[in-house]
Amino acid sequence: MIKLTNLTKDYGSFTAVKNINLEVQAGEVFGFLGPNGAGKTTTIKMMAGLLQPTGGSVEIGGFDVQKDPLRAKAITGFIPDRPYLYEKLTAAEFMRFVAELYTMTDATARIRDLLELFGLADWAGELVENFSHGMKQRLVMASALLHEPKVLVVDEPMVGLDPRGARLVKDLFKDLAAKGVTVFMSTHTLEIVEAMCTRVAIINKGEIIAGGSVGELGRLARMENSHLEPIFLKLTGGDETI
Amino acid sequence: MLILLHPRFHAVKNRLTRLKKGDGLKTAVLALLGVAFWAFMFIVSYRVLSYFRTVEGLGDLLALRLLSMVLLTFFSILVFSNVVTSLSTFYLSGELDILHSSPVRIESIYRAKFIETLIDSSWMTLIYGLPVFLAYGAVFKAGAAYFAGLLFMIVPFLIIPAAIGIIVTMLLVSAFPARRARDILVLMGLLIFVVLYILFRMLRPENLVDPDAFPTLVQYLTAMRGPVSPLIPSSWASDALAPLLRKNAGDAIFFLLMLWSTALAGIVIAEWVCGRIYYAGWSRSQEGKRAKLSRSRAADLFFRLAVLPFRGTMRAIVLKDIKLFFRDASQWSQLFLLLALTVVYIYSFKLLPLERSPLPTIYIQNLISFLNLGMVGFVTSAVAVRFVFPAVSLEGESFWIIRSSPLPLKDLLWAKFWSSVLPLLVLAEVLIVLSNILLKVSGLMMIIGVATVFLMTVGIAALGVGMGAAFPRFRYENVAQIPTGFGGIAYMIVTMLFIGTVITLEAWPVYRIFLAQSMGTSMGPAKGAWIALTFLLVIALVVLAVILPMKIGLKRLLDREI
Repeated sequence: MIKLTNLTKDYGSFTAVKNINLEVQAGEVFGFLGPNGAGKTTTIKMMAGLLQPTGGSVEIGGFDVQKDPLRAKAITGFIPDRPYLYEKLTAAEFMRFVAELYTMTDATARIRDLLELFGLADWAGELVENFSHGMKQRLVMASALLHEPKVLVVDEPMVGLDPRGARLVKDLFKDLAAKGVTVFMSTHTLEIVEAMCTRVAIINKGEIIAGGSVGELGRLARMENSHLEPIFLKLTGGDETI
Repeated sequence: MLILLHPRFHAVKNRLTRLKKGDGLKTAVLALLGVAFWAFMFIVSYRVLSYFRTVEGLGDLLALRLLSMVLLTFFSILVFSNVVTSLSTFYLSGELDILHSSPVRIESIYRAKFIETLIDSSWMTLIYGLPVFLAYGAVFKAGAAYFAGLLFMIVPFLIIPAAIGIIVTMLLVSAFPARRARDILVLMGLLIFVVLYILFRMLRPENLVDPDAFPTLVQYLTAMRGPVSPLIPSSWASDALAPLLRKNAGDAIFFLLMLWSTALAGIVIAEWVCGRIYYAGWSRSQEGKRAKLSRSRAADLFFRLAVLPFRGTMRAIVLKDIKLFFRDASQWSQLFLLLALTVVYIYSFKLLPLERSPLPTIYIQNLISFLNLGMVGFVTSAVAVRFVFPAVSLEGESFWIIRSSPLPLKDLLWAKFWSSVLPLLVLAEVLIVLSNILLKVSGLMMIIGVATVFLMTVGIAALGVGMGAAFPRFRYENVAQIPTGFGGIAYMIVTMLFIGTVITLEAWPVYRIFLAQSMGTSMGPAKGAWIALTFLLVIALVVLAVILPMKIGLKRLLDREI
């Protein structure tokens, strides 16, 4: 469902993402891990069509994001790490706007259901500028699910969410995966990866240094039956500096 | 306190030392434009003052009167600009969270913010003011004492309005939450400006330099000596400079000391006020706000009617843009300015002394009507640079929503074009039709005027949307910043060239048609063909002005990474 082929991104002389190759199947919850500045957000932005790759390609559901962007975006839901929204729209107005962007004909019931699901129904008529960070993050998630995407690309899903919100997101992602939706998420919350992700890739200094299930990563780091945190630190070289 | 200013200092330093590719050219162009403007201000001031000095007996009086008016204007602008700036620096700036959570004394925050406010709100007035003051020195052939006095006068002259502005802001915020206070201020400021502007036009200040307009010399002199209160610091500044210009230092020192003592007292009083009410106000400024009015049923109906001509995603974008516009006080309040502009523009035509012209009235009426086309074009483009050019940039940091959706960017640009061109056309056509009615021009000139303005406006709107997309500025603190960069200036220059070319192309055929009509003769097929060709050229130019910038803007926006 997601295919990254030789994906590369240069910023001048600095290469943020080097020749990444990845494939994620339908119904997988895929964890994308890496230290700060490793190239996670750059990769995700290329997947969402916000950045042009310097080389290689991204395919979503068989559509090349650069060559056939509209069809690729039509089946993708994107949740950025920082929820910048139109501050002067109400939550319901924002949802309606997004529905129209995705050319949905009658989204009223779905908007109501999603706002209800994300605990925003009582705030539907309130301007977004009055929302807390967590509420904005919930609204972004609700809007990303509006058009029933086949692929969900998420950058740091848990930032700003309260425990109830985090729980909701975990359950939701599992449900979606069970229904065949592919979830690709970058996160620093390793417990979530352990609990949810079928497979994981670790990116460091722009390169994929390890990939597989959590168990496979443990074997790779010679730390079988260990938690993901020490494995991650060992693979990324972070254990030496801490 | 100085430590608190370090982030600002480093930000400026880093901006200067880490110029990106292409920034050099932009900086050079901006610097060149700045120098040209400065030179222009100096030359205009020099010539006006030199002309005044030739008026026997009254010259110096006129020049000094003008000086006190200039200083009073600067002083008022400075007070207002300090109120607006201090609202940002003291209450809304992002770094305040860090400052207030650090072990920094409130007095230190006050002093650092005072300096920041002073610099932010004064540098522009200082730059615009200097050529005027230098021109005074040059025309009066003043000595070193004048320039030293000027330097000594300017510092307290800038500090006093800063202190007043900060005190006013703190009192305002203690009455309203800061975010509401900003909306109220923007609105108040605009209304005051609009009323003053209309009053100023209706007083016809140009008559002050035309003694013939007054029945007697006594009335003229009385008007000239009109009261400027001796309690206003700007009159101390002019009273300090006047004797120095005439090489007579006596009173100057007294007025300079008045300025300095008031400035220092201002700093102390503002600090005292700050100690009493600043922290409580800042705390309140973080409260939420509600915008009930723009979410009422009536507003909803208005929004729905406004988007009736649009369908699908285009309708969604236009509806969103209209809502964002009418819910942002810094946006919709600008409509008052537009209204004032229209009233003053039309009023100026009512005042035109056509009957005093030595040329035949019908000729001059139609000539003015033709030149009026250029003026309307100019006014429309000035409005467009504020409202149309920022259309794409207004997506701001939320641009990812559009960019990650399956909406073709082409549709976004055309939606911005249509939502800009329609209101712009209403403004431009109202200006041209009303001014032509006041000028009593012929039916033919009216048709040419309406058609030309229609074509020009379409071009101006497309240039605005296209160039705004080519030079977007998605990170801004307020909307007014968007057109102040390189792209905005380039847009103004390109639209001037566009309007100039349209007018030049039309000048000859319009003159021919007018001549043939007034003489009652026919033009012949050759001339007719030429005229048709030039009008076709105008249409071709407009088509080019629509397609080319939209294409370039789309390409640059597609290539842009967010």
